[in-house]
Amino acid sequence: MKTSRIWLLIKGELYRLHKYNVLFISILIAIIWGVVLYFVDSVLFNALLPFLILIDATMMSVMYIGSVMFFEKKESTLSSVLVTPVTNQEIILSKIIANTIHNLISTSLIIIAFIFIKQVKINYPLMLIAIILITAVFTGLGLLLSYYQKDFTSMLTNLMILGFALLLPSALYGFNVLKGNAWEYILLLNPVEAASKVIAGGFKGISLDWHYYFSLFYLLIGGLLTYKYLILPKFKDYAVSISGV
Amino acid sequence: MFKVNNLKFKYKNNKEDVIKGISFEIKEGEIFGFLGPSGAGKSTTQKIIIKILEDYQGEIKYKDKDLKEYNNDFYEEIGVSFEMPIHFSKMTAMENINFFLKLYKNNEDVESLMKRVGLWEDRDKLVGEFSKGMKIRLNLVRALLNKPKMLFLDEPTNGLDPTNAMILKDMIREFKNQGGTVFITSHIMADIDQLCDRVAFIVNGEIKEIDSPRNLKIRYGKRVVLVEYKEDGKTLSKEFPLEQIGKNQEFIHIVQEKEIETIHSGETTLEDIFIKVTGVKLDNENL
Repeated sequence: MKTSRIWLLIKGELYRLHKYNVLFISILIAIIWGVVLYFVDSVLFNALLPFLILIDATMMSVMYIGSVMFFEKKESTLSSVLVTPVTNQEIILSKIIANTIHNLISTSLIIIAFIFIKQVKINYPLMLIAIILITAVFTGLGLLLSYYQKDFTSMLTNLMILGFALLLPSALYGFNVLKGNAWEYILLLNPVEAASKVIAGGFKGISLDWHYYFSLFYLLIGGLLTYKYLILPKFKDYAVSISGV
Repeated sequence: MFKVNNLKFKYKNNKEDVIKGISFEIKEGEIFGFLGPSGAGKSTTQKIIIKILEDYQGEIKYKDKDLKEYNNDFYEEIGVSFEMPIHFSKMTAMENINFFLKLYKNNEDVESLMKRVGLWEDRDKLVGEFSKGMKIRLNLVRALLNKPKMLFLDEPTNGLDPTNAMILKDMIREFKNQGGTVFITSHIMADIDQLCDRVAFIVNGEIKEIDSPRNLKIRYGKRVVLVEYKEDGKTLSKEFPLEQIGKNQEFIHIVQEKEIETIHSGETTLEDIFIKVTGVKLDNENL
């Protein structure tokens, strides 16, 4: 893997995120979130801000990488990249890193705005780690999901179903519908729940208990294993299937 | 340059092999063509020898070394032009080219290439505003920008008007004259006939014949003289074998005695020979 080449690919990805208006849309959404949060009371604000950061780093990451993949599918540009000296690993990593940088910009906008407006107390290093890790993991999952979708519409539909399925158990547990200590452990295996614990650790005043550390390593190790055993090996099949060479 | 021996390939969801044990060689400095109807296995073969499809059976050697032993640096030496446009539509032609250019060690002079295909004036236009012909011409620029030693062209003139098709064919010949090797897949007989040093006829994943277009015409073609003449107020026509034409008494009689309207030699076209050898038309109809 060549650093200079992967950097070129990342720059290319970021430039295309700009040219295809994905960056504009994500910043616009961040501004809309910001406006909504500005007008809510402090109790609701404290509950909503971590939730919006969670949605931005998880579901929105999947959606943004999905849009990139379907633009490329539609224009068959991946075929052209496949016949260059770049490796599949470089292609995938550049997409994950570019999407993470891009998402970091939009999420940071929300956080920075509220540091000044509502005096939010942020643990900067932990919040940075949280956003980077979660966005990278969910971008990888988004890539994997896009391999198996016909088009962007079907990806959006399945993402909504998947998002609902992942958020539902946590909601049921929160409302005491699911009872018992066992659920506390089971729910941590849900990547969205793990992500919410890691984001919560990025706010000052939250004690970092075993839930936090388990979630952090679960996402890290789980993300790496998913990359090695699913995202990377399945990429070639996907690329060949969409290349009408 | 490439030696392919007993190549077989089956797609994961297929029961049958789509490539059924084909063998051929692409010699350095030649233009080698694959002529066949859609679905014959032309593009699949190309995908295999440009290392996009990997799970094949048989042996492929590039410069006497197994193709599987090459890493991605293999792509420094080859250029691929796809049948369909493969550009980022919301980027300009130059933005597209510059993105790919930086991924290679060797870089061609893009300005002269773009001028050669008539796209220099449109270099700052979004590719999405290009016509199909312009996009196909940009494909060739894309394929040539790393100064490749070998070019793979999939239906290179498909969708081009005659003038632009001629420009592309001239560029392919120039590439060959500068020492390059070319592999062309096409269902357009004229491309193969005009460009290729050797051609393979491929049908249903099998190669039926390989030779130069000239040798194929000599071997399979009938060389005739067709005469149209007037007799009793009607136009009649008669075909004579070209061999020993000067001793053919009937031909001499017609030429001497009748009012000749047209007279010309007729060679069998490559398409006729393809049909004769394979029993299949290039537009996919069985005979």
